[in-house]
Amino acid sequence: MHENTPHPHASHPHSPHPHHPSTPRPAPVLAARDLTRAFGSTIALDRLGLDIEAGGSLAIMGPSGSGKSTLLHTLAGIERPDSGSVLFQDPSGTTGPVEIAALGESARSRLRRGSFGFVFQSGLLIPELTAIENVAMALMITGVPRSAALPRAAEWLHALGLAGMEERRIGQLSGGQAQRVAIARAQVTGATVTFADEPTGALDSATSSEVLDILLEATVGRGNTLVMVTHDPDVASRCHRVIHLLDGRIQHDAGVPTPGAEARS
Amino acid sequence: MKAFSLAWLLGRPTRGRLAPQLLTITAYALTTTLLLLVAAGGLSFRAVQDELTGLYLILAGTAVVLLVVPLAVLGGAAARLSARSHDERLATVRLLGGTPALAGAVTVIDSAALALLGAAGGIVLYLVSAPLVGLVHFRGRAIGSGMFMAPGIVAALAFAVVLIGIVSAVVGLRRLNVSPLGVRTRAVAPGARWIRALVAGIVVVVAFTALQQLSAFRDLAVMIAVMLGAFAAVLAVLNVVGPWVVRLLAGRSLRKAENPERLLAARMILESPQAAWRQVSGVAMTSFVAVFGGSGAAMMKASAGGQASPQDLALVDDVLTGVLVTILASFLGVCCSAVINQCALTLDRRDLYTNLDRLGMDPATMDRARVRSVMAPLLWVSLGSALVAGVLLLPLVGIAMIVSPMTILVVAATLAAGVLAVRGALTVAGSRTVLRAA
Repeated sequence: MHENTPHPHASHPHSPHPHHPSTPRPAPVLAARDLTRAFGSTIALDRLGLDIEAGGSLAIMGPSGSGKSTLLHTLAGIERPDSGSVLFQDPSGTTGPVEIAALGESARSRLRRGSFGFVFQSGLLIPELTAIENVAMALMITGVPRSAALPRAAEWLHALGLAGMEERRIGQLSGGQAQRVAIARAQVTGATVTFADEPTGALDSATSSEVLDILLEATVGRGNTLVMVTHDPDVASRCHRVIHLLDGRIQHDAGVPTPGAEARS
Repeated sequence: MKAFSLAWLLGRPTRGRLAPQLLTITAYALTTTLLLLVAAGGLSFRAVQDELTGLYLILAGTAVVLLVVPLAVLGGAAARLSARSHDERLATVRLLGGTPALAGAVTVIDSAALALLGAAGGIVLYLVSAPLVGLVHFRGRAIGSGMFMAPGIVAALAFAVVLIGIVSAVVGLRRLNVSPLGVRTRAVAPGARWIRALVAGIVVVVAFTALQQLSAFRDLAVMIAVMLGAFAAVLAVLNVVGPWVVRLLAGRSLRKAENPERLLAARMILESPQAAWRQVSGVAMTSFVAVFGGSGAAMMKASAGGQASPQDLALVDDVLTGVLVTILASFLGVCCSAVINQCALTLDRRDLYTNLDRLGMDPATMDRARVRSVMAPLLWVSLGSALVAGVLLLPLVGIAMIVSPMTILVVAATLAAGVLAVRGALTVAGSRTVLRAA
């Protein structure tokens, strides 16, 4: 894990700009090959292939049961595929390429703690802890002492517009504020890839737009990668690239071609 | 009639509801079993009628009173668990146009049904375990069939447990604001205040002074009254000062917490110091009495010597047995309520725990924090109250340790075994186990 301080406003803009075919493509931060995952007779992922570029934002869309969340969980090492591979190449270069699907439970946990950030629909913050402690907790579980974790957590809360709310309990925050705390928690460890599962799904449209701005600034705006599952076309339209899943396959990719799909066709 | 059919519709066992319902029923069953065993043990002393019967009944009564607290806590845990599982259903009733009274009726019916099933299970468990508990020796022989009470008494006590469940559900409802959009807790628990510590300190000093000056009272009846008064006052103080002390110590832990589990544990206690205290308050009183009883038994044993009558020697042994049984029963109550509370918390927050695991936070970290949130107050109060009792009886405890170290050692070992039993029970109720079972 590398030192991470927030400077979201000093970053380059993150307006959608689909990749131009003529420019050389950077190495993918995540490369999935032939991912297959079945739950009983239901096939959630069907030999799916996908390259995710570093520093970009990817929206995964599709109807319920199309395999969106399974894909997100498999890319993040939460679930293991039945077959296929997911190669993670840390853009910071602190670690060499890692084959996520081949890692054991503890190694995947370590990888998630150190390199990935997560933002879920309902924040999923620990209700007993204050806002600052929820953020600091992400650092503390990687072994950072509390005295060092708290100032870094405070910096992130300030950067995300939550100055003065550090000592508030989660129940004392609005939905949008709680989601900002979740974003700060996802970023404070220096996550190079952030996975978001319907991060604005529980928010009204104004708050949703605000939270999305903050999420994009805190991730892509700092040169990191965002992979997001969403049902909302407006949210998806803010990303560099949008893929649509159907029956565990990429049906449509508004961005770069998918290597697995090429292999199959 | 409408309330009954709605209660069945909303409360009948289904996949999602079964785990909390079984947990609630188990909690009521354990409460009933322990209550029946304690009552049977107490009443068994009526079997032998002699000049010591009165004394034995007083001692047994004291033990029963001491065990009422952990039993009430266990019953309360069952009731809260039952009420918590109602939340969503209550909101549904209101959303469908039901009145608050109808929502209340559904809760009471549901709670009564679960408590009734639990009490029935508790009676079966009592009948199965009574022969085992009957092996304990009092008055020179095993209690044996004395552990079986008349069916009327058994039914009355089981009914009392059901009644506790219903009353708790009604009281719980008064604290909730049931709207069609959900259920919210109305009031925030008041904080513990320093004034409690001041009052407690004064009471302890007065009790200590009174006990030191005991010989100044000429009349035996006055001496006994002063002793019992001091005992009762200090027990009351323990209850008043307990939440304040727990909050103070948890606050200190929070400031010093450097790792996730210590931070979480301290915050979990500070979430409600009253609840943390309530869970372990039975042990506080038992530890307090254990020092009194243990020292008393040790002194009696030493002073009885060779010339004591067999009856007197049996009394000394019985006081010690009584102290040990009360400690064990008290810890058993704490074990049950702690496990039930932990399971309820895990089931309540299954989404949070699953997703913290996804974030890379090992569920074991959360488990360690939850274990610590129970064990820290348990150690504080058991050692703290034993210390207070020790200070009150300073010369007596000192002499007892010299004249009968074995007796003191046995009492201390039993207390330690109780603490370890709670620790073990909490490990068994780890979140992985609970979520897998749910």
